[in-house]
Amino acid sequence: MGLARTLAIRAVNLLLVLLLVLLLVVVIIGATGTSDRILMSIVRQEVSTYRQAISRTITNPEALEKAVETYRQELIKAYGLDKPWYTRIGDMLKRIILLDLGVSKSLQTFSGSNKVVDLIMERLPNTILLVTTATVLSFIIGLLVGVKLATAIGSKLDRALTYFSAISYALPTWWTGIIFILVFYFYLRIFPPGGMYSIPPPEDTLARLLDLFWHATLPIIVLVLATVGSNIYVTRTVVMNIAQEDFVLAAKAKGLPERIVRWRYIARVAAPPILTQLILGLAGSIGGAILTETVFGWPGMGLLFYQAIVSSDEALILGLVYVFTLVYVIARFVLEIFYVMLDPRVRI
Amino acid sequence: MISSKREMLRIFFSSSVSKLGVALLIILLAFSIYALVAFPPDYGKLVWNNPKAWENYPKSAPPSWVNFFTQSKLFEHKILETHEPVVFKSPDGTIKKLYYFDLDYDAGEFPKFFSMLMKDVRYWKSPPIITLKLMRPDGKTVELTSFIVSSPREGEKPPYSRYEKEPFILKIDSDVNVWRSVSSFLKESYGLSFSPSEIGKDPERFIFGSPIGSNFSSPLKGKYRFEVSVTTYDERDSVGDILLILGGSVYGLLGTDVIGRDIAIGVLLGFPTSLFIGIITSVIVTLIGCLLGIIGGYFGGKIDEVTQRVSDIVYNLPLLPLTIFLIFLMGSSIWNIVLLLIVFGWPGLTIVTRSIVLQLREAQYIEAAKSFGSSPWRIIFKHMLPQVMPFIVAQMIFYVPTFILLEAALSFLGLGDPSLPTWGQMLELGFRNGAIYLGLWWWIIPPGVMIVLTAFTFVLIALGMEPVVNPRLRTG
Amino acid sequence: MSDPVIRAINLKTYFPVRKGLFRIAGYVRAVDEVSLEIYPGETLALVGESGCGKTTLGKTLLRIVEPTAGKIFFKGQEITNTDYNEMKKLRRRMAMIFQDPYASIDPSYSVFKVIEEPLEIHGIGTREERAELVMKALEEVRLIPPEEFARKYPHMLSGGQRQRVAIARALVLRPDFIVADEPVSMLDASVRVEILLLLRELQKKHNLSYLYITHDIATSKYFSERIAVMYAGKIIELGPSSMLLKNPLHPYTRALIDAIPDPDPSNRFRIREVIKGEPPDLSNPPTGCRFHPRCPYAMDICKQVIPEFKEYQPGHLVACHLYD
Repeated sequence: MGLARTLAIRAVNLLLVLLLVLLLVVVIIGATGTSDRILMSIVRQEVSTYRQAISRTITNPEALEKAVETYRQELIKAYGLDKPWYTRIGDMLKRIILLDLGVSKSLQTFSGSNKVVDLIMERLPNTILLVTTATVLSFIIGLLVGVKLATAIGSKLDRALTYFSAISYALPTWWTGIIFILVFYFYLRIFPPGGMYSIPPPEDTLARLLDLFWHATLPIIVLVLATVGSNIYVTRTVVMNIAQEDFVLAAKAKGLPERIVRWRYIARVAAPPILTQLILGLAGSIGGAILTETVFGWPGMGLLFYQAIVSSDEALILGLVYVFTLVYVIARFVLEIFYVMLDPRVRI
Repeated sequence: MISSKREMLRIFFSSSVSKLGVALLIILLAFSIYALVAFPPDYGKLVWNNPKAWENYPKSAPPSWVNFFTQSKLFEHKILETHEPVVFKSPDGTIKKLYYFDLDYDAGEFPKFFSMLMKDVRYWKSPPIITLKLMRPDGKTVELTSFIVSSPREGEKPPYSRYEKEPFILKIDSDVNVWRSVSSFLKESYGLSFSPSEIGKDPERFIFGSPIGSNFSSPLKGKYRFEVSVTTYDERDSVGDILLILGGSVYGLLGTDVIGRDIAIGVLLGFPTSLFIGIITSVIVTLIGCLLGIIGGYFGGKIDEVTQRVSDIVYNLPLLPLTIFLIFLMGSSIWNIVLLLIVFGWPGLTIVTRSIVLQLREAQYIEAAKSFGSSPWRIIFKHMLPQVMPFIVAQMIFYVPTFILLEAALSFLGLGDPSLPTWGQMLELGFRNGAIYLGLWWWIIPPGVMIVLTAFTFVLIALGMEPVVNPRLRTG
Repeated sequence: MSDPVIRAINLKTYFPVRKGLFRIAGYVRAVDEVSLEIYPGETLALVGESGCGKTTLGKTLLRIVEPTAGKIFFKGQEITNTDYNEMKKLRRRMAMIFQDPYASIDPSYSVFKVIEEPLEIHGIGTREERAELVMKALEEVRLIPPEEFARKYPHMLSGGQRQRVAIARALVLRPDFIVADEPVSMLDASVRVEILLLLRELQKKHNLSYLYITHDIATSKYFSERIAVMYAGKIIELGPSSMLLKNPLHPYTRALIDAIPDPDPSNRFRIREVIKGEPPDLSNPPTGCRFHPRCPYAMDICKQVIPEFKEYQPGHLVACHLYD
């Protein structure tokens, strides 16, 4: 009972976040006239499609123009462009939630669609692949190394870790990526300079998969480096604190082998705070994704974002902000499910 | 256990981590102060972002010290400036000023180009005559060119001023007269016959080269002396700056970027900017955050509820996409960036401060203070704040690198303030111009290293603060 | 008999219990209709188990906790609803000594600052005058030499010394009434007597009134003129100390006294009454007499009707149906 209720409360909270972001975004773009521009561009698109369609049947240029203009006026009324922007807020919200995000003015998908939704959907899996792999790896490494180190407080290794964590925190992910490309591509020619597949991508499935891994290695390493330092540090600190607790001492006194003590007693209790660390790092991962994809030319949402900025593609930016927040909210919720499952104290 | 200020300082400095951090901080501050003092405040807009100012510099050139590692040295870009001339006065009133420029040539390649710049010529009667001669280490002298400054125009009155706004540029690579002079020189000195147009393909090779047979393959090393003679006919006639520019492949401490800007200057300018952004944002965020946390935690009630809700929501927002979006809309001025960082940054501190205050509020000595009439504000400032202070300071220090890194990331994505040279922006330009794929490491590495170093400094200091804040970690 | 220094009439302090964000599920009735008076120069001991509400009563009298209903009079003036500024002036006349000497003084303050603070708040004297008052206060509580102690920090002092500092702080404004909330419970046994003697001495010297809150009825014998016994938010017996201890009326009082360890070996076989059960939940107390689930003499009426607090003998009041 407590589990479900807690989760429900968290879900509501996160939904509030999403809605708030949405509202904020819609209000801002309304107030700055951006939404007008976006809608106008949609109108223009539809008008030109319409024009092409009816120009087959109506040949008289005057009548053609009249029909097109009438249609245009209808559209303007339908989209509410003849009224001030704040009347359109509800409508915009609905449209965005239903993922009707307009058209991009500069980019197209492989299949030729320039609808924002399609563009994002095309790139989304790539980002998820990258970020999820990196997060899982970082978590595992953080856990393993952190636990190992917690038993060696104060040693040289531990001290080295402190410096490593500090450096890891101070390293901008994207710059590390740049340096990696410089070293591993430009000088050593071991890894490709970017992209997801070679051009042209290999035919054979296995080769394709390997090609994917080969391209993904550097970006994943970079993403892991960004977060692993703090993961190790937090794990080590938490485990160190727990290892001093009496219940651990009791377990050892019972004669349980070190490994069992370490995993069943310590790690289980250490997991929630470490998970918290993951949750906190999630927002950063989103940012990290944007930067890393840009550096490595990885065709995911992050790179799309960068391209949208460079070409001032408002509709695309808007859509991306929404989808990013959505993905973030979902990811957070998933992590929170794990968290609540692991730590009974949090349940209401 | 609460320690006095002196004891806190002692604990802080007892670890080598803090000592290193503070030492680095001092270095950073020193460089920042130097940058602020040595450059005018609008240097960024006027000079740095002005491609014209960097015309005379090599583009995408590595630093000059790479020559240490190469067998045959690359030519280091040189800009030779005027010193005091040697003046000869003839009895007939002509004044000849000789300007000397010395060059120690030890490179294994020829200069990429050779130009002479002259500014601000003024004369009263007859236009001055300018001659450019070169004395080579092998004793031979080449007169490269001789010309007269343009005569007064119709209706122009003395003093006649030339090259005030636009300097006079003599480009060896495109001046046929020079090629002719060189051709005659070669004939006289070596008996070699090259036509001016042949010379014009790569004049530097002949000017600075010594032939083996009729091949000019390697430069003549040694001391060169350039002489620019200015013959004027009136005491009042004057000549401004004269510059000789020898185009090199390498330049300076950290090389140049694609526009020709001295990267060392760029890096230097980045110091005060980064420190400023990091520290100001961090201080303001800390002030707002902990004030709200304290008020909410102590007074409770509606204020607390509202603050909690708001900070909860803001804390959970994905920072980078929203910031990018808002900067995109609001324009990329430094104040917008600082504002947004503050708006998104305060909840972290509020949440933690509030929980500390909640704990402290139930302490018996707080109740005791109430019992003898202490006002809530007195309790907050005199009893709670001192306890919270080390923690707040540590957090504030920890925020500095966070904001520096965030600003760098935003600049890297092209959203930085263009009028302020920051390290992030240098990297952005480099990335956009493909510096990685071209291997222009001197452009890519230094700004990044500086970002890391600056952030690292503050992280060290924050780590050093940990034992002060958390007595359990004290080892001394 | 002179007017009481402090008087409470039908005082109630209830704390709302919140479930979720908005619903109030009930109240913790920490102080449930209490009336008492304390006269100048006397000590009233307030005895009861942990969680019976005695600390809350003490804090309510000083309005550190706000009363939910009833009236409080201080030296004849009603202070139940006085505003903040007026109350601040009155706080010079009342003080509190807390239970935990490790928690009741700010650990980052020097002893001097701790004792000086009340003077500073009420703007008394110049710096030099205040310093003198602080030194005098330290001498009064026998922290001698005062200059040496003034410079120390709380963590350098023992529990007993800290409590002396707390007492000095309570006295420095020369109050008329002090609430002493279990002032010796957290001190070592050897130190307890010293502190109680000190408090007694100061009382005589400055004509102070004490509300001495304790769970240990044994010390009240030597320390107080009258004793009030509290159970589940209500005062169930009140009377002069010697009378109450020799002739306890209420079964609870009797059990408390019986529980006192008796060093006389000849009494070692005496059968004592041991109270069964747990103290009640103050948010959901038993109906009728709060003590009835644990009372060996409980009658039917005890389950239904709350007994009235009546005078049984002159000066000796009790709330129990046995004496109706």
